[in-house]
Amino acid sequence: MNKKLVGILLLVVALLVSGGNLMAQDDIVLEFSQWWEPELPAGEFRALMDEFEAQNPGIKVELISGPYSATRDLIVAGAATGTMSDVVGLDGAWVNDFVKQGSLASLTQLMSDAAFDDSELAAQIQLGGATYMIPVVNFVYPVFVNLDLLNAAGIETAPSTRSEFAAAAAALTNAENNVSGWVLPLSMEQPNGIQNDVMSWVWASGGSMLANGQPNLVGNADVISAVEFIKGMYDAGVIAPGAFSLREQDKVEEFTNGRVGMMISSLAHINLIRERNPELNFAISALPAADGYEGPRGLPYASWGIGVAQNSEHQAEAWKLVAFLMSAETNSRLSSIANAFPGNVKSTPDFVQTDELFAAAFDVFLNGYLANEFTGLPVAEQLMREFNEPFQLYLDGEMELEEFLTIAQEAWLGNFE
Amino acid sequence: MEHSHTARVSIGAKPRSRWSLTRKLVPYAYLSPTILLLIVLSLIPIATVFVYSLLDNVIITRNPPSFIGLGNYVEIFFDNHFRQALTNTLVFSGVSVLAHLLLGLSFALLLNSKLIGAVPKALFRVIYILPWVFTASIIAILWRLLLNPNGVVNFLLITLGLANDQIEWLSSRQLALPAVTFINIWSGYPFYMVSFLAGLQGISDDLYEAGKIDGANSGQLFRYITLPQLKPIIISLAMLDFIWTTHQFTLIWMTTGGGPTRTTEMLSTFTYKLAFSSNEFAQASATAMIILAISMFVAVFYVRNQRLAND
Amino acid sequence: MTKATTHSAGKGIATSLTVVGLVLGALFAGLPVLWLFAASFKSNTRIFAYPPQLIDDSFSLAAYSTVLTNPEQLRYFFNSYLVSILVTLFTLLVGILAGYSFSRYDFRFKNLLNLIIIGVQSVPPITLMIPYFGLIVTLGLYNSYWALILTYMVFTLPYAIIMMTGYFNTLPRELDEAVMIDGGSSFTILWRVLVPISLPGIVSVGVYTFMLAWNEFLFALTLTKTNDMRTVPIGIQLLMGQHSFEWNQMMAMSVLGSLPVLLLFLLFQRYFIAGMSAGSIKG
Repeated sequence: MNKKLVGILLLVVALLVSGGNLMAQDDIVLEFSQWWEPELPAGEFRALMDEFEAQNPGIKVELISGPYSATRDLIVAGAATGTMSDVVGLDGAWVNDFVKQGSLASLTQLMSDAAFDDSELAAQIQLGGATYMIPVVNFVYPVFVNLDLLNAAGIETAPSTRSEFAAAAAALTNAENNVSGWVLPLSMEQPNGIQNDVMSWVWASGGSMLANGQPNLVGNADVISAVEFIKGMYDAGVIAPGAFSLREQDKVEEFTNGRVGMMISSLAHINLIRERNPELNFAISALPAADGYEGPRGLPYASWGIGVAQNSEHQAEAWKLVAFLMSAETNSRLSSIANAFPGNVKSTPDFVQTDELFAAAFDVFLNGYLANEFTGLPVAEQLMREFNEPFQLYLDGEMELEEFLTIAQEAWLGNFE
Repeated sequence: MEHSHTARVSIGAKPRSRWSLTRKLVPYAYLSPTILLLIVLSLIPIATVFVYSLLDNVIITRNPPSFIGLGNYVEIFFDNHFRQALTNTLVFSGVSVLAHLLLGLSFALLLNSKLIGAVPKALFRVIYILPWVFTASIIAILWRLLLNPNGVVNFLLITLGLANDQIEWLSSRQLALPAVTFINIWSGYPFYMVSFLAGLQGISDDLYEAGKIDGANSGQLFRYITLPQLKPIIISLAMLDFIWTTHQFTLIWMTTGGGPTRTTEMLSTFTYKLAFSSNEFAQASATAMIILAISMFVAVFYVRNQRLAND
Repeated sequence: MTKATTHSAGKGIATSLTVVGLVLGALFAGLPVLWLFAASFKSNTRIFAYPPQLIDDSFSLAAYSTVLTNPEQLRYFFNSYLVSILVTLFTLLVGILAGYSFSRYDFRFKNLLNLIIIGVQSVPPITLMIPYFGLIVTLGLYNSYWALILTYMVFTLPYAIIMMTGYFNTLPRELDEAVMIDGGSSFTILWRVLVPISLPGIVSVGVYTFMLAWNEFLFALTLTKTNDMRTVPIGIQLLMGQHSFEWNQMMAMSVLGSLPVLLLFLLFQRYFIAGMSAGSIKG
């Protein structure tokens, strides 16, 4: 009786396995692994791929979608076992590691093979003079301000300097109503708070955490003033509780629930906040700079980057897909559905014309420059973690500033050659 | 236990010339699927990891690997972070295993009680295994919600007057380790409970009747009948659970990520960061081998114990 | 006061203590899950509302309908069931054979094999991932159900073997002898006598195996690639986006996934109470 059951189940398995392998053998099938498809409205990304297939007969695109948090590990494992997809979605923080692994193909080579004009590309992530990643769309991280809370605290305009920001955070903080001025996500699982919510203060005032491509934390006035500024707000109790385990996805819920007055967050959150709490009255402004700083402001950002596998047998076709995504028209559409800023300088997403908040953000975007010094650094995520560990001790008053920066710098130096 | 002892003597006393060859081969035949599966899918990858642990430059590098012998082990051994992770893991696993045992046994005894009707018992059984039916990432998400400074747990504590302020369960360096240990206890006890329930069914009522006739109270019945009867299950479960808990990754990774500042860093998160965050795959392999050695140390004790129990 | 009334009064106290214990335990086990259940009906924002409410005006079945009308997500459920059921059947089959061998025979390498069986699960899966992945690709199993089934068996077998050995050890060998005297083979002893008696143990091993296969994430993620091979834990992880989570859908998916499992448990729990235990046979 059991055997019969097993037999039937085996049959089912066999059918399913063989069914999965029945594919047209004539076409070149490009595997494109990314985490974007689940982030976009259902079916939209596939529709773009269908369009690409229509324009390029003989090439099919198979979308391999994974969870964002696992994408990096899967590429590492895929490259190590020779199963990496032809085209991969990338984050700037991973590029250096994959180039070291030898898993990414030089796009400079592919561009010249295809006689591609790269003048329209807003950015290229290069290592050793060759391009390995192209940012397809960019998510800028401006400051989100809860206007109702701000007005209730008696403040008219969004802060534009650090001291205004600290003052606003203090005014917004209201223990009785359970409201904090600012939210700072420092989870060790997703350490990108170090990049988006901590180092961004350095970049917004034209500072740098590097000198000649090497870590420069100890004695760096720009870094010191930024972390002291954050420490001041932490000590004043204006930062939302639970900072040391908060993640980007948590801080947006705190903001949406009206428990924090201000957050630095991805543009992707504009529509999310509207959808999740239509009542919330909020505005967007550039990250405040150090008092008295007049220069251009660096804007923290995250990208959906793209790269081609070194071991792909169809690199020329893979490049066609990259070029398609980077073309002015496709890139406009992709940035529109992703609520992101384009990677092609000629593209303009729809929402910039139709939406006030995005228009404001686009202004911020055009007046500043994209700044993320972690992009392209070796083991960038580990660098964030290594900075985060002593930083938490510093905030908690367990460690002096000097010691914290020394520890972080030494840990970083170990990863640079 | 006396039973099997007498049984063994009687089988041993059996004349078995005709049987001898068959009896030599039969046990291996029964074990053949196991041996095949474990050798191919287990020993080969473990051997690979062992080889990695002796090399430098593996996986995430273009440079050819080079043999450095025990270099990775030396490096790991003198790494303070490794020792902290080891201590945390021992605390986390030790407390978890102990609490699992106590909770699992108490709940199994309660559910096995003859004082409760069959239907409420069935209902309770289902409620009691609830923590077990969810994948680790959901358990992490759920407890992050519950233990959020603005979550239900704090709300209840404040409402009941047991706390004044919002407690930062997962983001305080003092509370994070107890908090993740608690979550692990909550999510792990049903496995013990189910095993103990089955084990309790196997204890003969005659034993209890005989005990009662001898005038034993319920405490004595538990101590001299239930516990000894369950002892083999307890030992197996505790050993397996200890080994599994030292591997617990998702739960810790998705609640605290090993933070704040390594206060919940376990061998599992430490190894993961080495392998996938620092790209030191060889060192991660060395750590894995050290964990294997520790587990085998536990396992040797277990096997010896089994042998004593059998003889 | 007669002896009988004292006895029943004592029994009454014992009963109330048991009930109190059971209810407290049920609160400990059930309240967090109740919260998960409640969250699956809320809007994503209200899940984080303070003060928290069990049920609020955002109550809706939207998360469920989203999950249930998405063919990809339904496929994840199908895959999870198929894999978990097959893993359970194979593990029990192989585990019972091995447990019998360990329990009833003495042979060379017994202790060594025992150690290996425990040892193979002592390496952190994280580090095994890449070499294992390579092996599965070499065997041509990548992105197939077999990759998952065989992998999970490696993790479930040690427990199954150890438990089955333990349960068989509690069964008296006179049972074996009786069959042997009647001319039965060792195979008959195992399937006709030992297995039926050990059903409670087998069911609990089966439940464990099913749960492990049902909830496994790391290898399911690594060893499969296409959506038609993904399992429920990965489907849940796919709802955890780069910028935001679909909290209520994750909860709804977990609830939907757990219901049939609970139903199975409800059906099988009669084996725990069936009295088909070693003890009653002995008597």
